[in-house]
Amino acid sequence: MLVLKKIEKLAAFTLVGSLLMVGCGGADSSDSAGSSSAASEATAMENPVDPSTAGNIVGSVAFEGSAPAMDAIDMSGESVCANKHSGTPMVQTVVVNDNGTLSNVFVYVKEGSAIDGMQFPTPSAALLDQDGCVYSPHVMGVMVDQEITIRNSDGLLHNINATPTEQRGFNSSQPVTMETSQDFGTPEVMIPLRCDVHGWMTAYIGVLTHPYHSVSDGSGDFSLSTLPEGDYVVEAWHEQYGTQSQTVTVTAGGTADVTFTFSADMANAVVPMGTPVDLHDHSLVTDQQ
Amino acid sequence: MDTIRIMLLVLTVMTIPLRLDALQEDDLGKVTYDRWCSECHGVDGSGNGSAAGFMLPRPRNFTLAQYQIRTTASGDLPTDQNMLDAINNGAPGTAMPAWDDLLSEPEKQALVQYLKTFSRFFPDDEVPQSLDFGGSTRTSEEVVAEGRRQYEAIECWKCHGDQGRGDGESSPTLVDDTGFPAAAADLTENWFFNGGDDVEDIYRAIRTGLDGTPMPNFSDVLDAGVITEEELWAVAHYVRSLSPEEVPGISEVVQARLIEDLDVPRSVADEIWNETEGVYIPLVGQIIVQPRWFNPRVDGVWVKAFHNGEDISVMVRWSDPNNSPDQAWSDWKSQVVTTMEPKEGGDTGIGASPDQLVVQFPMQMPEGMERPYFLKGDSRRPVYLWEWKSDRQTALEGEARGVGTESFQAEGQDLSVEGVHKDGQWQVVFTRPLLTEDENDLDFITGEAIPMSFFAWDGDNGESGNQGALSSWYFLMLEEATPTAVYVAPPLAMLLAGALGLLMVRNAQKREKENI
Amino acid sequence: MSKHLRHPLGRAVLVLLGAYVLIEFGIAYLPPLFGIPSGPVPDTVLFQYLGTVVVGILIWVSDNETRWSEFKAPLHKVMVEPEKKRARLALAVIIPALVGLMTFNQVKPSMAAPATLRSIHPAPPGQIDFKGETMELAGLENPLRATGSMEEHYESGREIYVKNCMACHGDGLAGRGHYALGFNPGPASFQDVGTIAQLTESYVFWRVAKGGPGLPNEGAPWNSAMPSWEDFLTEEEIWSVIIFMYEQAGHEPRTWEEEGEH
Repeated sequence: MLVLKKIEKLAAFTLVGSLLMVGCGGADSSDSAGSSSAASEATAMENPVDPSTAGNIVGSVAFEGSAPAMDAIDMSGESVCANKHSGTPMVQTVVVNDNGTLSNVFVYVKEGSAIDGMQFPTPSAALLDQDGCVYSPHVMGVMVDQEITIRNSDGLLHNINATPTEQRGFNSSQPVTMETSQDFGTPEVMIPLRCDVHGWMTAYIGVLTHPYHSVSDGSGDFSLSTLPEGDYVVEAWHEQYGTQSQTVTVTAGGTADVTFTFSADMANAVVPMGTPVDLHDHSLVTDQQ
Repeated sequence: MDTIRIMLLVLTVMTIPLRLDALQEDDLGKVTYDRWCSECHGVDGSGNGSAAGFMLPRPRNFTLAQYQIRTTASGDLPTDQNMLDAINNGAPGTAMPAWDDLLSEPEKQALVQYLKTFSRFFPDDEVPQSLDFGGSTRTSEEVVAEGRRQYEAIECWKCHGDQGRGDGESSPTLVDDTGFPAAAADLTENWFFNGGDDVEDIYRAIRTGLDGTPMPNFSDVLDAGVITEEELWAVAHYVRSLSPEEVPGISEVVQARLIEDLDVPRSVADEIWNETEGVYIPLVGQIIVQPRWFNPRVDGVWVKAFHNGEDISVMVRWSDPNNSPDQAWSDWKSQVVTTMEPKEGGDTGIGASPDQLVVQFPMQMPEGMERPYFLKGDSRRPVYLWEWKSDRQTALEGEARGVGTESFQAEGQDLSVEGVHKDGQWQVVFTRPLLTEDENDLDFITGEAIPMSFFAWDGDNGESGNQGALSSWYFLMLEEATPTAVYVAPPLAMLLAGALGLLMVRNAQKREKENI
Repeated sequence: MSKHLRHPLGRAVLVLLGAYVLIEFGIAYLPPLFGIPSGPVPDTVLFQYLGTVVVGILIWVSDNETRWSEFKAPLHKVMVEPEKKRARLALAVIIPALVGLMTFNQVKPSMAAPATLRSIHPAPPGQIDFKGETMELAGLENPLRATGSMEEHYESGREIYVKNCMACHGDGLAGRGHYALGFNPGPASFQDVGTIAQLTESYVFWRVAKGGPGLPNEGAPWNSAMPSWEDFLTEEEIWSVIIFMYEQAGHEPRTWEEEGEH
């Protein structure tokens, strides 16, 4: 009888096991553990791109139409932060520069067969500072598994609430001047971050498998350097005006010039934030790497 | 050969019921979910069931695999036990009920497995790891005081407020991850804590955060050495100390204590209020007549009363994060109004509404058990009302013969009022002579159970008119001066009984002697 | 022991004790064992019943001369026999003390809520006025059971239930919605065998359509938080939510045949 029970159990396990395998599309081993080991290999790795045959993309983001008025942030409740700003601090959603260009646009290589399958070394830690109750930078790009140092320079309570769709987020508190570090294991454009304590504080992080990303600066300029020669789809992402993309050809030793133009009438654009979750796709997201 | 055949046969026979079992278990989760959960959480687990709009917070979206009540790190998946606990205990203070005795154990187990299938984040092979919380320290005055220091140091008050009533400076702008308004917990009502009322539950919420809400985890702060485990436990003990030791039971009678030869307290600051504990009266949304309101801010009031034979004072206090109308809450208000179903008219979210309180009594003391309809009376049995509003210094007396027929006297008021908003709490004291000249005012008679009920509105939560919170009938009873009968009647009865007994025994003994 | 039990005084005491236990506890706890709801008997009623029992006992003992003297004998002994002096003294203290206590309880001011008595399932009217039309309740069946797909009726009833009824009657239909604690009397549990399982669908229709305000006086309409759903729902919607309630709670409605036997 005992033996029969054991066989029964064994059969049950096998059955349940195989059902699970069928039901879930098989056990997938390329999970986060797999990617992190790949990352540690990559740290020791040389950049696979030969600089002698590489080219660059430089450009700027133009803005057409009248710049929307920026909302003032009421920091009266946080005098420590208010005192750090010389003027009235403004909400950073749309920052049009003096030269008529647009700041805080995330520009990155979306597709490019030349870099498919290439393994890039993981850069050293990127810094996200909370200084004067605003995130600095407001928009940034990192590579998969790249460390992000999150610093609280204000010495008062901030929480960092990251809400990605393609991977797990976090909601971490920093009640004093301190640093913590976080990283994202899956590429995602973009991941919103917010501070719930200060409703105006938002930031966006783009996570890529390669280092070809840039954020338009105070003159609207951006640059992507040391790309292998080939055709690329370059996308520009803005938190209010959505995305635009262009195909750019990079030649050996050449510099391609690209201009993106956003306009005030795009204010109601769809702003993609990661890939919408497919309710019926149960495969692990890390597959996309 | 035969042995093998028999073995094969046995194996085949054995696998048939096993396979059926396995299938049934798979089905059981789906069947249970579709039957009991899908109408709120949606057939697809997205939290968009047909009843979702009637709730705030909204039902959980299982596709995101974000669970508030976890013993695992922020952003991590919950353990099976975490999910089971959430099903068993529900989420107090929300529409999610405790399913502990409503579903069978296998149904709940199957449900946990089925919920996981809604999200791609649940891996097949990894088991989420619970954090080590150490053990709770015992509470003491010192621990609570340390907890208070830490509560200030790590700035819990930014959202939860100085006295923990969810009235911190950041509270009007809090939203959850899906963009819906998310109120900071009122820490003085632990029976509404999502995830449990114990100090252990509070500690868990602090350590792991409530994913999907603005509540962050404090494990990172612990790991960074900014705070010690003992100090975090002290915070949990302090938070626990903000609520009563026992969940207030429902008591039907509010006693107005008699204070002879003293004036009744007419101010909220009067020390005498501290002498009595008060009765907790739960309030719920007005969902009986249109337009209904499924998102009341005021979930209960505490009531105290005193009288001195001439006047009566009734103090009502309740948590409300702000004194409406308040510009800082205007976004909150419009979001709540836009979010809440059903749209049956009522507050549009535009314009200012004050906070309000109405205390209701019958206009005449009812004969027998009959009383006015608890919702503003009816044509046969009118009600007598006390109305206070945050944007006015006076209280009005009024009457109603059904919803929508309320009318208030402008002149000749016998009622006075003081309302004070402080630290996320309204304290309102009404004072009135027991007897008035006006025949439409109820006379307060001592020693009688006077029906009493409450209506409350938080203007900046989109509440006005029929859209607010209410209670059913309770009783106000004014203490009587101890009647002389209490001192006289029992001794008299005892004397009489003793004398009668003595007489009986005497008589019996006399007769017995005579018989002999 | 058996000698004492055969003695008329012993029997009288036994009957009185038995009656007390039955009235105080039996009425409250026995019917629920058979699924019939019940509650404790108020003290005044208890005294009234026990008074009746005492009168009955006195009639019985005084009915027969021998029994009467037998009944009196022990009482008489306590009063006269010198060796019973202690018992006499004890009674001389205990009886006045008890009388004093009872008097005190009578005259002391009470701060308790008055008892509310209500009929949980008052008799329904023969007919109701539903949105201007007269509906005969007697013999009325749920018309949806004869037409369309039960599954569809169940589904539409379900949606109506979660949007309108759930806040009080609960997701589990056990009367434990998150608004339940706000009302007195609390919302009915449909899981309970004492509610919809005992009623015809027409009765449930009447209760849903007319709500608290439609109750007769013995149902204490002034306390009921049940809305008059005719103001919110169509006739078909009410019938479909009734189908959902029975189906979800796993009960069968009472039929008119059963009602006739009753």
